[in-house]
Amino acid sequence: MGCSSSLPDRRSGRLGGLNNVENSGAPDSKNIRVKLVLLGDSGVGKSCIVLRFVRGQFDPTSKVTVGASFLSQTIALQDSTTVKFEIWDTAGQERYAALAPLYYRGAGVAVIVYDITSPESFNKAQYWVKELQKHGSPDIVMALVGNKADLWTNREVPTQDGIDYAENNGMFFIETSAKTADNINQLFEEIAKRLPRPSSS
Amino acid sequence: MLLSLLSRRTLEVDSRDSYGFTLRPQHIQRYREYTNIYEEEEEERSHKWKIFLERQAQSSQPIYSEEEHKETVQARDTESKAKTVSENSWESDDSSGEKSESDGSTECTTEKEVQLPGELQKEVQPSEKPEKKLQLSECKKELQLSGEPKKDEQLSGESNKEVQPSEETAKEVQHLEDPQKEVQPSEQFDKQQQLPEEPVKELQLSVELEKEVQHSENPEKKLQLSEHHEKDLQLSGEPKKDVQLSGESNKKLQPSEKPEKEVQHLEDRQKEVHPSEQFDKQQQLPEEPVKELQLSEDPVKRVQLITEAEKEGIFSKETVKVQSWGQIRLSLGSIETMMSFRVKKTNNMDDEQISVSENHLPSINESGSSGRETEEEFEEEARVSETTDDPTRDPRVDSATGDDVSVEPFFPWKEELECLVRGGVPKDLRGEVWQAFVGVKARRMETYYQELLAEETDAGGNKEHSNSSGVPKKWKKQIEKDIPRTFPGHPALDENGRDSLRRLLLAYARHNPSVGYCQAMNFFAGILLLLMPEENAFWALVGIIDDYFEGYYTEEMIESQVDQLVFEDLMRERFPKLVNHLDYLGVQVAWISGPWFLSIFVNMLPWESVLRIWDVLLFEGNRVMLFRTALALMELYGPALVTTKDAGDAINLLQSLAGSTFDSSQLVLTACMGYLAVTEARLQELREKHRPAVLVVVEERSKRGRVWKDSKGLASKLYSFKHDPGPLVDETEIIKGGDAPSDGDNSHLGPPSSNLDDLLGGLTTDSEVESLPDLQEQVVWLKVELCRLLQERRSATLRAEDLETAFVELVKQDNRRQLSARIEQLEQEVADLKQALADKKEQESAMLQVLMRVEQEQRITEDARRSAEQVAATQKYAVHVLEEKYEKAMALVAQMEKKVVMAESTLEATLQYQSGQNKALSSPRSIQNQGSSVESPRKRTGLLPFALGWRDRNK
Repeated sequence: MGCSSSLPDRRSGRLGGLNNVENSGAPDSKNIRVKLVLLGDSGVGKSCIVLRFVRGQFDPTSKVTVGASFLSQTIALQDSTTVKFEIWDTAGQERYAALAPLYYRGAGVAVIVYDITSPESFNKAQYWVKELQKHGSPDIVMALVGNKADLWTNREVPTQDGIDYAENNGMFFIETSAKTADNINQLFEEIAKRLPRPSSS
Repeated sequence: MLLSLLSRRTLEVDSRDSYGFTLRPQHIQRYREYTNIYEEEEEERSHKWKIFLERQAQSSQPIYSEEEHKETVQARDTESKAKTVSENSWESDDSSGEKSESDGSTECTTEKEVQLPGELQKEVQPSEKPEKKLQLSECKKELQLSGEPKKDEQLSGESNKEVQPSEETAKEVQHLEDPQKEVQPSEQFDKQQQLPEEPVKELQLSVELEKEVQHSENPEKKLQLSEHHEKDLQLSGEPKKDVQLSGESNKKLQPSEKPEKEVQHLEDRQKEVHPSEQFDKQQQLPEEPVKELQLSEDPVKRVQLITEAEKEGIFSKETVKVQSWGQIRLSLGSIETMMSFRVKKTNNMDDEQISVSENHLPSINESGSSGRETEEEFEEEARVSETTDDPTRDPRVDSATGDDVSVEPFFPWKEELECLVRGGVPKDLRGEVWQAFVGVKARRMETYYQELLAEETDAGGNKEHSNSSGVPKKWKKQIEKDIPRTFPGHPALDENGRDSLRRLLLAYARHNPSVGYCQAMNFFAGILLLLMPEENAFWALVGIIDDYFEGYYTEEMIESQVDQLVFEDLMRERFPKLVNHLDYLGVQVAWISGPWFLSIFVNMLPWESVLRIWDVLLFEGNRVMLFRTALALMELYGPALVTTKDAGDAINLLQSLAGSTFDSSQLVLTACMGYLAVTEARLQELREKHRPAVLVVVEERSKRGRVWKDSKGLASKLYSFKHDPGPLVDETEIIKGGDAPSDGDNSHLGPPSSNLDDLLGGLTTDSEVESLPDLQEQVVWLKVELCRLLQERRSATLRAEDLETAFVELVKQDNRRQLSARIEQLEQEVADLKQALADKKEQESAMLQVLMRVEQEQRITEDARRSAEQVAATQKYAVHVLEEKYEKAMALVAQMEKKVVMAESTLEATLQYQSGQNKALSSPRSIQNQGSSVESPRKRTGLLPFALGWRDRNK
């Protein structure tokens, strides 16, 4: 991928935070701070992706997310820019969609997750894409993620479907597995690369 | 591998708190620090509660006895017995030979039971609940009715039409029709008496029939009833073979065979068969006599079919097993009564019918009618016979409501209880106290939960009917997904625990389709199941979701959104600096408080704190505690939050600080004492204010209109504008109402998401504007209007200022109240401390006394020592004196020795002299003298060594 692995979170996180506030409102090109929201059907593994990315853990019996939960993580790219992700992991149940605008409003990145073993969750992902196209920020970076790639034997959503849909909607597509940590860091690194860089003036 | 598993396990064991919930690794240390405090607090509060409850028990007679509980248990017993009896009677009835074909294990038990039919009947009648009694008598009546006409008919020939008008419903007529046709054979059989066993079986069946009626948990009891009639018919069908043998006509045989098949049908499809269908079948059947004959000749098959149907159907193990309802202890009866008044009150406001059905406590008759009511309420099919019966019951029901509404006693100990609750409910009481608070008993409707479950299993087993009943698939799927994700790994949530959780959630989804299932409820149900039996947990959940959190977890989650706006309002009011800082960081309060509210802090705070908050919340019976706790958390952690420098840090910090709020007493007391001004009335007021905005958004969201974004954007912009919106909006509304009648009602009906929104809405959508034809006129009019509005605005701002000052005053007052509360608290603390001081002083004096005694003793011993010393000294002196004397004596002895020596030498000299003289004289007398003189020195020398030896020894 050509990206370095994520730095130890605390040090770089604090640095990034400080830098950003010092430049308040006009972050420099080296330290980017971005709000990221995870959306998708219930049980597709949103929380697991975040936990894998932030803490490097995987818990097969994670708790139901009620409302939303927040975590943050900073990664450093090869060009020595750091990106601090402020990640909002939302609840998956349909009715919680009523609260989703609260979290995706103002988000720079939306990661829409589906489960490759569940066509229903793929439909739900498409719903979220449409919702964000209507109501999200216009320059939002969207990623479509097919999770649970380790269960490829039970695959019901062909990879090509995901690729096609993402391409048609100008999104970045990747298949991940929070369980095996496959492509998790790549997902976030790729997102980081695609972020609009503030012009260094 | 194994090792790693093991180590993880021990880690897991270590990282669970005393409630069995997982602790975050970073909190284990702090939790350990607090366990001692928790234990101390627990000890203290269980003592306090004990005293309180003892007092309660003394002052008030326990209102509810165990009777009801016993009744349910008995009912359950009889039910199961009835079930077995029925099974057996089926088997024995069909043919004694085929018994062995059916399940051996059930037979063993059933045979035993069958011996009791007479007894059972006796037992059942007193122990059954009245509702069932009612049905029983009804059923008997019907039996009698259907029996009597039969005879008449037989005697008078065909008279279907005579019977029909005497019956109340079409369905019953239907029952009647069958018996009518069958009367003949059975009558004949009776007359013939060819098989002596048969009448006995018939008796059993009639018993079974009554039992079955009682047993029926399904609301559609009528249908069941009809089935049983048909069972009866089947029995009476048995003799038909005899009839056939005895040469009766085929015509009579046909109808007699028919019901047998019907029963099969019915048993297969269970209770949900529509009467009309049933009837159709009946009509069709006579046309296929051959088939029927075959069927009737194959009783083995039939038995199997029936038993299968029974196994799968409503009598499935689940229904019987699930009946887990427990009474709470009697000492909590008075609390329960107090809280149940709240339940009734709210329900009376909501829906009279429900309150009627819930007043089943006071008298048995009422509960009978209440059972009926609920069945009717949830009965989907119209039951004509029921409605015809109702007029007789209604008056009773009405009087019951009248009685209950009128009295609401005053509970003088409520404040004391409130204090106790704020101090926390002891662990071992918590489950029951919560039930009392929520009014589980008052909410409970007998058999309702079982009915919900039965319908559920029914719908699951029989796919034909899944369209009419059963939980929608999406909820079922969601529940299945969430069950393993509810307190994963908690020791109590094993296979059985999860089954209960599933049943509970499915039953709730059925009970209230407007909520169905919402994530978060799984946690609530889980907590409740940890604290109480399954059915109690169901009613508690019903209380919490339907009542305390009405509209919170519905599809649109309107109330929860409203509450977030209200909370933000309160935050701006209480912590303007903090909110400003958060605004600056771009953090919305609702991001964090939303999950807090929705989960009622479950998984957000340490467990001890969560449970303490729930104690108060359930006691108060509203969501005030949610707000107070959230405000308290902000108060506690606000100062830290203000130091954060970006959104992520702020949210992280608040999350982690909240997650380590182990000092639950501090939290609850801060919440309860610090925010007395946050009351239900105030919240309602604020909710009313914010609800329209939410409704508009929800509506537009559902419409998927493009307007949404803009209006939302505008609304939120305007929203951030106003810092003290409460009074302002009221004010503008008043102004509008008074000054601008020309605006019409539009402004009031429109979306008043904010005051300015209102004004704009009134401006743009004004019908008068549109009605004016000329543009110029419009412009003029608009100018005037604008001026007027500007004026209004000016006056509004003025009044707003006034109000602000008034508000500041109010806040001050509020502060004063808070302060006085604090002062009280402090005073009490002071009193406590004084008490402690007095205690300490007493202890001190006691210690002093002890010390004095010890001192005295010491003195005595000192004296004794001194005297002993004196004695010793005197003795020493005596010794000394004696020594001196001895020395003198020794000196004397020495002198004496010298003298002795001298004397000896003189003696010798004299002796020599004398011998010289004696030699000279040589007379006999001199020899005699010589002898004596020789003897005397010998004596002296003998004495000398002795004296010397004595002296040596003394030395």
